[in-house]
Amino acid sequence: MPYLAGLEKEGIPTVLINFGEETGKVEHDSTLYGVPKLRHIVASRNSVGGVTEAEILVKPVLEALTRPLSDEEKESGIWEPHEPRILFEGTLPEAEEFYNQTENIPGILNAPFSKYTDGLPVVIPTEERVAEMLKGTSHKPDEIITLQRDMVMDGFGPVESTTTRKKGDVVNFMPMYRTATVEQVAVNAVMAGCKPEYFPVVLAIAESGGGTGDGRGGGGGFIVSGPIYKEIGMNVTNSIFGPGNPANKTIGRVGSLLWRNLGGYKETVTTITTLGSPVTNGGFIFAEYTEGLPEGWKGLNEEMGFREDESIIMTGAMGMGEWGIGQSNAPGVYRSLQRTGHGAIARFLDVKGIPGPHNYLEYLAKDAWATRDGGFTLVMPPQIAQDLCDYGFKTKDSIYEWIWKKSFEPVSKFRMRGAQDFITNGWLGIEKTSGKPWKELPEDYMVPAGGDNPFASYNILLCNMEETACARFGGGHGQAFSIDAWR
Amino acid sequence: MAGKDKVYKCLNPVGIQPPVKTSPLAPRPGNLDGKTVHLSICGEADIWVPLEKKLKADYPNTNWSVKKRYHIVPMELSEEEKKTTDAVILGVCW
Repeated sequence: MPYLAGLEKEGIPTVLINFGEETGKVEHDSTLYGVPKLRHIVASRNSVGGVTEAEILVKPVLEALTRPLSDEEKESGIWEPHEPRILFEGTLPEAEEFYNQTENIPGILNAPFSKYTDGLPVVIPTEERVAEMLKGTSHKPDEIITLQRDMVMDGFGPVESTTTRKKGDVVNFMPMYRTATVEQVAVNAVMAGCKPEYFPVVLAIAESGGGTGDGRGGGGGFIVSGPIYKEIGMNVTNSIFGPGNPANKTIGRVGSLLWRNLGGYKETVTTITTLGSPVTNGGFIFAEYTEGLPEGWKGLNEEMGFREDESIIMTGAMGMGEWGIGQSNAPGVYRSLQRTGHGAIARFLDVKGIPGPHNYLEYLAKDAWATRDGGFTLVMPPQIAQDLCDYGFKTKDSIYEWIWKKSFEPVSKFRMRGAQDFITNGWLGIEKTSGKPWKELPEDYMVPAGGDNPFASYNILLCNMEETACARFGGGHGQAFSIDAWR
Repeated sequence: MAGKDKVYKCLNPVGIQPPVKTSPLAPRPGNLDGKTVHLSICGEADIWVPLEKKLKADYPNTNWSVKKRYHIVPMELSEEEKKTTDAVILGVCW
């Protein structure tokens, strides 16, 4: 859309072909990019074969390129929506009704969609409550959210490129390219139910883009590393992903409110998503338990270039949010493997009757990439980590390398993966391990199905738990943002 | 004032929207004979393969240029290419 808007402004007439459910977003984005009357033609996903659809499209497409402009299409002006600082004045019951109001959106079969929330009731952001929240930071209320340090951001897919951003760069919240003040972030933090002591974490989330991504961020997935988890009482033990812990639940929730209110997400109007993520589910956060790391294993903060005593959040590492890929096992089966060499995994590894340490990763990684690409994050208790260390993985990096190498397969098999037509730009791009064009590679050349590089694609985090269970979800290492910078 | 009747000022969670200068559409040519029309193809090969063939076959007096990418972000015309492009068709995406 920005490209087409630019062409129109340069005097080159255009027409866009889009799908039906995207029309609301097309019309909305036309205004956002400064050409409100941009012409578009709707194609069908469901017509019988592409030939029929091509025959249907030709005349309307060419007509849109040649039909003289209407008076409306010749107009220019300024689009300048204004939002007041005080949104509502009234009693608390009246405010609850106001903030929890919904509207029907045609694009989602007229289902109600909240105007200011994530669909759950919110804590009303009175002036008093917001003032209290602002005590959680030394930053001024009217300060615009900006990057707190220079950063290099990696792109993705056929347009991947590296972008350098500078300390002081203003953060834009997508899909509407909005900016925000510290106070506006505080309003959303109050609504999510956060306490003032959580606010530096919330501000770091805002600095990262607030879970908005490119407009389809889904509220985001965040990992905390560093001593702040103890200061604010994040649960890093049993039920680390479950209900009950106020910090885990409310700080995670902030992502979805920032996406709604700072980013302007409104389904089928400002953004088109598919199903959303059952993992991040509108904002998701947890913290790692570094105290249980084996000797020589670094915490996430140190892996991302910070000190052990510094607190950070990491974003962008949740991949597509898949959960529970690959094998599963009962915790007791794992214990039997390592203590006495008995049980299903011992039979799988052919180590019957031999006590451990055994390489549990051989079991976890088996067929992990059968119909899925990319890496994953493992969340495990100290015992599993120690067993891996005792087996011989003296650093987390050695594990990432080992798993990544397990994912290699011949090009002939790699070509059958569902995402790669897109990621390789129709196989026109360069394969990274060889540096050669995909089209020049022999069919038996081995390439990694498990991500571009070990560190980016894999991650291991510890939780403080006795039971030997291990959780797995998509993603590796993403971008890190300092929480301390927002104290 | 009774507690339940107390009036509160409640703040706005919505971010700051930068103003946008809106522009008219570019003037349309009367017809495309002798003009250069650029096809900016972003995925959906099942529509574009026959559509590209049909456009070229049905309108042979138009010069057709093409750039393709398997992504919603199109491969853009260079500044030089824009000088000789009279119209652009882009799809299928938003």
